[in-house]
Formats: sequence, C-alpha cells, structure tokens
Amino acid sequence: MKHKLLFSLCSLLLATSAQAEVNISGFASVVAGRVIDGTGVAEFDLGPTFLADYPLVGAYDEDISFKPDTLFGIQFSADLLEGLSATAQVVSRGADDFSADFEWAYLSYEINEHWTVQGGKKRLPLYYYSDFFDVGYAYPWIRPPADNYTWQIFNYTGVSALYNYLIGEWTMSGQVYYGSEDSDPNKLLSDFFFLENTREVWKDIGGIVVQLNRDWLDIRLTHMQYTNERYIGGVQQEWNGNKQRTGKFYGLSVNIDYNNFLFLSELNRLDLDGSNLDTYLVTLGYRIKSVMPYVSYSDFNDGEGGEVHHTTSAGIRWDFHPSAAFKIQYDDVKDDGGPGMKVAGDSQSISLGVDLVF
Amino acid sequence: MKKLLCSILLCLVSMPLFAGVVVIVHPSNSDTIDQKAIENIYLGKTKTFPGGAPAVPVNLDSAVPLRETFDSKVLGKSSSQLKSYWSQKVFTGKGTPPKEVTSGAEMIKLVSSNPNIIGYIDSSEANDSVKVVAEF
Repeated sequence: MKHKLLFSLCSLLLATSAQAEVNISGFASVVAGRVIDGTGVAEFDLGPTFLADYPLVGAYDEDISFKPDTLFGIQFSADLLEGLSATAQVVSRGADDFSADFEWAYLSYEINEHWTVQGGKKRLPLYYYSDFFDVGYAYPWIRPPADNYTWQIFNYTGVSALYNYLIGEWTMSGQVYYGSEDSDPNKLLSDFFFLENTREVWKDIGGIVVQLNRDWLDIRLTHMQYTNERYIGGVQQEWNGNKQRTGKFYGLSVNIDYNNFLFLSELNRLDLDGSNLDTYLVTLGYRIKSVMPYVSYSDFNDGEGGEVHHTTSAGIRWDFHPSAAFKIQYDDVKDDGGPGMKVAGDSQSISLGVDLVF
Repeated sequence: MKKLLCSILLCLVSMPLFAGVVVIVHPSNSDTIDQKAIENIYLGKTKTFPGGAPAVPVNLDSAVPLRETFDSKVLGKSSSQLKSYWSQKVFTGKGTPPKEVTSGAEMIKLVSSNPNIIGYIDSSEANDSVKVVAEF
C-alpha cells in the first residue's frame, strides 16, 4: 500500500515535470553502535539497553547494530510556479525495519515575501530539532539528545503558516500551526511502554513558534497545546475519570554560534493535566577547522519517584567532505526512575557513523 | 584633512593587488548594497534588495574555488556550515538555497540580463555589462 502510494506520487511528480521543475534532494545517516556496559531493568526483564530514539524505539544492546540510527530520506519538490509547490519526503529507517514511509506530503503557497501557507502532513515542530530530526548533517550530535526527544507523536496532518521578517539587524521567523494525529498502533507506547497495542490520538494540536536571530545569536520560543485520547488494547484510557486530557507545551531555546564557539540549549516543559514533565539540554562545541569536539548534557524529569533520566555525551564531528560528516559519540545514561518508572536503566554506549546530504 | 588622508590610505590599502570577489548586479540597479544586505539575501533572510525590488541570488557551483572565497569572506561561514544551514531549511520546507551556475561567464550573462539577479565573480572578470556593488 505504502509502496503503491509512493509510486503513484513519484509518477505524479514526474508527470508534472513537463511543466514544473522537480527538485530531488536527500539525506542519509549510516550509524553503528553498541552498549559497552549497562544495567538494563530487572523488573521488566530488560537487558543492557540504550534507547537512542524514543519515538521509533531505536535501541542499542550489547551487540553492534546499524538499525537504531541508520536512515535514508528522499525529498521531491515540484515547483508549480506562481508561488505554489508540492513537496513529499519519504524516509526509510532502520529502527522501523527500513519500511519507506511518508514523513511529509504537503502543498505550499507563498502568499508574499513574508508569509507562506502549507497544508498536508508534516513533522510536528515541537522541539528545536523536531522538524529536522532525521537530518543528522544539520546538527553536531549523532542524534538529538534522547532525553528531550521522547515524544510518541512526531508528525501531524493539518495546516501551518510560516513567516519571515527582517527587522533591522534581527530576523524574526516562525510559524503557527493547527492539526491532529491518530497513531495506531503507536510504536513507542505499544512496543516499549505498555507492551500492548496502543492507539494514541492527539486532537486540536495548535502551536506557535517564534524564532529571533541576529548574527551569532538564535532564540526560539514555542507554545503548543493538544487534547490526548488513548486506547490500550482497544480500551479507552481514563485519567482521573476523564477520557481526555490536555497537554500544554512550552519551549525556550538559546543558541550561540560565535566564531568557532558553539553553545546550544533547550528548556522545555510539558504540563499534562497539571503534572509537569521537564526537559533540558546544553551542548558546547568548539570548531577547529573541519573538526568539532563537543560535550552535551540532557535531562528528563517528571518529578520525584517518576520518570527521571539524564545523559552525558561527548563526541567529535568531522566535516571530511563538502556534503558529509563523520561523527563518533559516547553516551552515558543514568536512569533514576522510581519504582516501575525506569525506562531502560543505566548504560554507557558508543556510536559512530556518517551523515550526508545530497 | 585627517579624514581625507584616511580615505586616501584606505583606498591604497583596499587597492586590489590580487584578485578578489566582486558582487555584481544589473547596471540599472541603483541600490546601495552593503555586506549585511548581501548576507541577508544569500542566506534567504530577505527576498528583496534594500530598495524593495525582488532579489534573486545566484551562487557559483561548489566546484569553483571562488565559491569558498565568497562563503568565507562575504558570508563569514565555511562551506560546510552553510550546507548544514541550508539542509535544515530545505528539509523543513522553510527555504531553498540559491540556484547555482558553473562559471563567471554564465554569472555575468544572467546578471546582465535580469535586474533582479545578484551574483559574484572574480574581480578580473568584471566588465561593463554588469555593475560592481561591493568588493571583498
């Protein structure tokens, strides 16, 4: 079914190429890694594990594996002139057994030099790196710090309006969006947390992103709200007697890229019906020509005795080719979750690989 | 008097003893285009010249050595930093990098035929069909 859809879309794009210009671009990451040492979680019968990609359950164990972080993506973009364009992105991930899925399929219309409206399926622009999570070439690490990027929903179908203004020395850009997502079965919740077929519904997803940029400084503010419904094994869940609950997300990101010095940070809070899930990350890097060593710390905390884990990472990015980067990274995860709230236990892991764009 | 002396000295200092990059536009373009404006146009932060007319930047192919000179001298970033910047834009639907041509001759042809195009060439290649707005 997916392949049929893919073929028809490709042929549609190719068929339009008589009138429209079709751009094909892509990205790929080939990464291998393994857990060097880890505790696992005895109460879940889980051996030493490093959960590198939460949404897709990309997890390393003590054997070398390419699956958790390896992926290939191709983007087709047809410029239909007069400001109209159609874009589709197909991503095949090792964590998903390399099945090719549409991450994006949307129409885009440029209203004027400041505003563009888009409709269709896109990545949810929740965290700073959410909407280019798959494009490893665009950030320093092997993958955005897993403690922060834990959300089970990462796509949505809906509409968004993107804006871009130049105000003196500052650029102000961002977007407002509205949509929904029905993930059935949801991989993270079904395969990792509840071990039973789980349908996760996010309705009335509404959000705003404001990004301010000046020379070496980049500040991003975001707020998002959604209504959650969940069905485990076909049975609708209730929270304090309610079939729905509301999530409110707040995020602040401050990034500095000054000469050869790189500072990246994110501070996020999800208020889920009054309980707070807090995450943050800090990364420092220093560019020495084409090589950049970096250190990173990321943290997840939803309260004492709840889900609590943090990761300390160190790595090197080497831009050995104009379109490709080699990376090697060490991750030390501490899982301080309360009884029944551990995720994958403590672990120390090594991963290395190549990210490229074309 | 001091100012004059300074300007003369500056002229002497900036006298191109070696070939540099010159940023070029159509001769009919009368905008004042400084380094910041060039940077904003080439990074997709604005789609217009300072005067308000649509601006379409054109790049040299990355195989041409002058491209790296332009990236580092004018935009202040390495070619791989810019590649990373654009890959983030392209794959999130927020922008597309400037179109590319493979030679200075092609660049001159494009710029001299369209008042909206801005480009750059080696300073030794400049001729009357285009207007030099900045030199680096």
